[in-house]
Amino acid sequence: MIVCVAVVGHQNNPLYIQSFTDADDALKLHHIVHCSLDVVDERVNNPKKAGPTLNETFLGLLYPTENYKVYGYLTNTKVKFILVTTDLDVKDADVRNFFRRFHAAYVDAISNPFHEPGKKITSKTFAERVSTIVKSFGLSSTG
Amino acid sequence: MEEYPEEMRSPPVSLVSVVGCSELHTSISTYLHSLDPPINTLALPDLSKASLLLTPKPTITPTSDSAAPPPAGILKREWLLKHRTKVPSVVAALFSSDRVSGDPAQWLQLCSDLDNLKALLRGRNIKLVVVVVCSNPNDWILNCIAFELVQMKSPKIKWLLCGSVRMWMPSLLTFYQNPDGDGNGSQLKESLYRLGSVFVELASKYYRDEGRRIKARIERKSSNPPELNSRYSFKVAVYAEFRRDWVEALRFYEDAYHTLRELIAGTSNRIVEAVAWFRQHNASYRKLVGAPEAIFLHWEWMSRQFLVFAELLETSSAAIQSISPLPMGTADRPLTEWEFQPAHYYQLAAHYLKEKRSSLEFAVSMSEGEIDCSAESVVPSSYLGQFARLIEQGDAFVMQPLNDEGYMRYAISEGKRFQDSFEIIALLKKSCESYNNLKVRRMGSFCGFQMAREYYALGDFSNAKQSFDDIASLYRQEGWVTLLWEVLGYLRECSRKQSRVKDFIEYSFEMAALPISADASIQSFRFEESGPAGPATILQRETINKEVFGLVSGELRLASIENGNDLKVCDGNPLHLEIDLVSPLRLVLLASVAFHEQIIKPGSSTLVTLSLLSQLPLNFEIDQLEVQFNQSDCNFIIMNGQRPHVAAMIDGQPGRRIETAPSLALSTNKWLRLTYNIKSDKSGKLECISVIAKIGPHFTICCRAESPASMDDLPLWKFEDRVVTYPTKDPALAFSGQKATQVEEPDPEVDLNLGSSGPALIGESFIVPVTVTSKGHDVNSGELKINLVDVRGGGLFSPRDTELSMDSHHVELLGISGPDGEDESQLNTDEIKKIQHSFGLVSVPFLKSGDSWSCKLEIKWHRPKPVMLYVSLGYSPETNESNAQKVNVHKSLQIEGKNAIIISHRFMLPFRRYPLLLSRIRPVPDNDQSASMPSNETSVLVVSAKNCSDVPLQLLSLSLEVDGNDGMERSCSVQHGGKDLLDPALLVPGEEFKKDSGSEVQSGSKASVLTTHRLPDVNLELSPLVVSLECPPYAILGDPFTYFVRIQNQTELLQEAKISLADAQSFVLAGSHNDAIFILPKSEHIIRYKLVPLASGAQQLPRFTLTSVRYSTGFQPSVASSTIFVFPSKPHFKMVAVGDDRLESLVAE
Repeated sequence: MIVCVAVVGHQNNPLYIQSFTDADDALKLHHIVHCSLDVVDERVNNPKKAGPTLNETFLGLLYPTENYKVYGYLTNTKVKFILVTTDLDVKDADVRNFFRRFHAAYVDAISNPFHEPGKKITSKTFAERVSTIVKSFGLSSTG
Repeated sequence: MEEYPEEMRSPPVSLVSVVGCSELHTSISTYLHSLDPPINTLALPDLSKASLLLTPKPTITPTSDSAAPPPAGILKREWLLKHRTKVPSVVAALFSSDRVSGDPAQWLQLCSDLDNLKALLRGRNIKLVVVVVCSNPNDWILNCIAFELVQMKSPKIKWLLCGSVRMWMPSLLTFYQNPDGDGNGSQLKESLYRLGSVFVELASKYYRDEGRRIKARIERKSSNPPELNSRYSFKVAVYAEFRRDWVEALRFYEDAYHTLRELIAGTSNRIVEAVAWFRQHNASYRKLVGAPEAIFLHWEWMSRQFLVFAELLETSSAAIQSISPLPMGTADRPLTEWEFQPAHYYQLAAHYLKEKRSSLEFAVSMSEGEIDCSAESVVPSSYLGQFARLIEQGDAFVMQPLNDEGYMRYAISEGKRFQDSFEIIALLKKSCESYNNLKVRRMGSFCGFQMAREYYALGDFSNAKQSFDDIASLYRQEGWVTLLWEVLGYLRECSRKQSRVKDFIEYSFEMAALPISADASIQSFRFEESGPAGPATILQRETINKEVFGLVSGELRLASIENGNDLKVCDGNPLHLEIDLVSPLRLVLLASVAFHEQIIKPGSSTLVTLSLLSQLPLNFEIDQLEVQFNQSDCNFIIMNGQRPHVAAMIDGQPGRRIETAPSLALSTNKWLRLTYNIKSDKSGKLECISVIAKIGPHFTICCRAESPASMDDLPLWKFEDRVVTYPTKDPALAFSGQKATQVEEPDPEVDLNLGSSGPALIGESFIVPVTVTSKGHDVNSGELKINLVDVRGGGLFSPRDTELSMDSHHVELLGISGPDGEDESQLNTDEIKKIQHSFGLVSVPFLKSGDSWSCKLEIKWHRPKPVMLYVSLGYSPETNESNAQKVNVHKSLQIEGKNAIIISHRFMLPFRRYPLLLSRIRPVPDNDQSASMPSNETSVLVVSAKNCSDVPLQLLSLSLEVDGNDGMERSCSVQHGGKDLLDPALLVPGEEFKKDSGSEVQSGSKASVLTTHRLPDVNLELSPLVVSLECPPYAILGDPFTYFVRIQNQTELLQEAKISLADAQSFVLAGSHNDAIFILPKSEHIIRYKLVPLASGAQQLPRFTLTSVRYSTGFQPSVASSTIFVFPSKPHFKMVAVGDDRLESLVAE
């Protein structure tokens, strides 16, 4: 189950962060998302380590915590998407698929002429679309 | 280095072995050791003893080396030492000549010894030298020996010796023992020398061959195990070192170590393996939590696992650095960056320790009431998990194993005794430092945050505050508002508990102004989780806002914990906050100040707009605003019109401007704009420094003023989707407005005049009158600066630059004379401060309004050059000099420096006289510039001076000067000699005044400007032939006259010349047309023609041509000189006393 998704801007500032848990651990998830930015920086600054992922937007598993797994995605405009999930065996293809759909939703949201680039995403449509994508995560491969 | 054995420290030395003839060993080994590079010698007394030295060899000999299974190490332990001390490269068998020439038994013995030696050397490449030692030089015997040796039975020996004999015949033949020979040992020396050179050559061959052999092994087997490859490379390198081939040695050492490094790098995979195993280990055992009441034991164990692994990883941290680029993937799950870092495991160890603590607390609370006094009797177990209780049974002690329940009670009571917090802090600190060293700031901050929370829980507020502050700055920078909210909440509580009112108010303000817009329905943070800050909601912000305003207005008190007494902002404890451009409190109050004009006149007023913005959730009112400028006279205070009672509290400073605004209320994200007049009398910059807001009687905020044009976005809020408005009503001012304006200088009320008087002429002193006229201002301590600047330079240079560019002083400022024309020397020395070639400084006396003062500048040009004259007057209109402002007036004038007179010249020959100048016929390339003149002939120099200025000039004199070295010539000065011509000679612009030289000489009168013109050098030469034509000045129609051609030979040679005379229409001619004549040396030949003119008017005489045979050149007079005027009848002239000459010249012209 996806517990948190986030969009992080150029200055590593959160543009959109939403948790999907019933438990009250939103703050903890914020910490996890924030810490995962270190790994994104590391992978972006030392691309030689991740040779095959050159020019790829999907950054893969960023880091495992005891209960969560964190995945990252970097758009061409250097906006980062972070996904936190509690599933312990996640298929890469599922995550990629998720990010692809999330990216499309993000592009639609910032294409709104009333949205100012670099500011927080407050669109309700975007939030609804994201929760749909989050709910359908993993269903494609299993069913 | 010292602790390494010798063979590791120094380069190897070749080793040779000498067998037999022990009496020679000392001299041989000494000699060999003295060679460069030296050779070490291994000496054996007897041939039969050779086996002693070499016996160990067959066992060590690595003949089976290549076939051996993968070796256990890289290099055998004694290998280096062996090759330096035991295995020689060359073995020299020495025996004396009598052993081969005498007894056959001895001969056989020798042969068998050599055979043995050969057998020993078999399989190795060691070179063998056979040396026969003779006591006397018997060549034939030695030859026989050689021959016999060659005849020996053993084919191998034969071959060997054959080779030896052939190759080293000299040493074989002539090693002389020299017992009593020539006495100076020269034969021995020579033999040693030969032996030495043979050794050097063979040793190097041996080491080269060995090296090649092993190199071949490397090349042959590319699939060698890396250990072997490393060994081979190492050995090749050592052999190369024996040969002193350092380049190859270095190359192979590098290869060897490179292979070694690869070998070691292979072990890094083991770290990956270890991490993977450890992860599996965790995954398996993490689930086995055990009994619920003892779960803390499990977490403690887990924590220990991570701690141990972290420490293990840290000890091999050197390897970790190098492996981080390795692919972080195993089959099931990829490894991520931090899983190779000990910091990750320290962090997890801390995490499990916290789990343990909370479980333990729970367990303790559950077991509350159960008093277990038996814990003391439990002894530590010798095996894990086998605790036992020591029970006294009579005299004996009995170990009774604990059951689970008993152990649990024991563990809980033990757990109570320990403070886990310190250990958690230690672990987190390690992790935090390690992450920060890796420049992983966010993970480091997270660890720091957890650590600070532990400190906070422990009550160590100063440590907690320090950590929280660091973390807060990161969150502020990156705009993580929720995380910042939480940290600020802790910080606020820390400062409350430490009774720091100022900190508390600052943190409270910052929290209240944070861009948190979530309302209570969305917020999902538990109170405990979000720490002392409470939930991040608008409601909470408002609560904090109210609290802080209550505090600063003195209504509320800060309940202190540490020292028990309440703190409040009051009379004795006023509070002042500073907000600068980088302060996080810019959110609370932002002051933007914009002048409406960028430049203002002194004394005239302009508008200034002061705009304030606050992001606090609740509206608030400012009681009083104070605006401060860099010119303190301009400072003013704005009172809140709705709070008159506060106005009364202000201690009225006399002279301070006080304005009253209708309202000073600030609401969220809405600019409060106030516009006021401002006026400054001082020229210079007028800048708004700060705006001080007073809220309540004891609280002030000093806000640094910012220009709207260069204002940064509000931190944190810039990411929010909020309404952005301009700080000023006029949007243009919001983009361009500055917090500073320039106050101009007052307008000068003094006239500065430069009297221009046309162009300047070179050489004269050009006078520029300067007039200073006051028209309203008094001129105090006036100063006149004069600058001469080259126009080509374009701009106005500083005096220094001007000086440089005018280094040759083409234009010079000669002096400045005072108003009454007195010389500068008569002026007071104080008044003229400085005159340089292009710069002058004069002080102007005090002038009342309406007065004027003038001076004259004297400038002299040496070359034609346009020059810009800059004159600037600086003065102060007020009398008190201390703070008077200078007013400056600038004037400039371009003056052209011109040449007044252009002098030209011309050389001429006398009329109808033509000397032959050879240099004109055959021009020499070098010489063609300078004119040629005949010597011993009269020549005419015409000098003309032309006035090219706009004014008439008086010519005083012309003079010719000669370079002093020729005494023959004399200089002459000329004044116009014609008494009846205009006197004095005035040169009207554009006209020429001509004067022939050679007239009478007069003493020169006073000349004001001298113009010199250099005449070119003239080439003088003797002309061999001079032709002169003679005829009367005029002719009369029909009247015959005689036309002489006079040819002068000035040489010592007979000159042959051909002459011809062409017919002319207007004349009847008598005389020879063509002729060839000879002119004797130093004589002249005259040809005479009789001519009768047939027409009147100016007529061409018949053209005379002379051709000199010797110089093969022809000569023809010019058309102008062969013209004559023919009168129709005889003219009648009135003869005057003046003389004929003038009349004649008139006619001639």
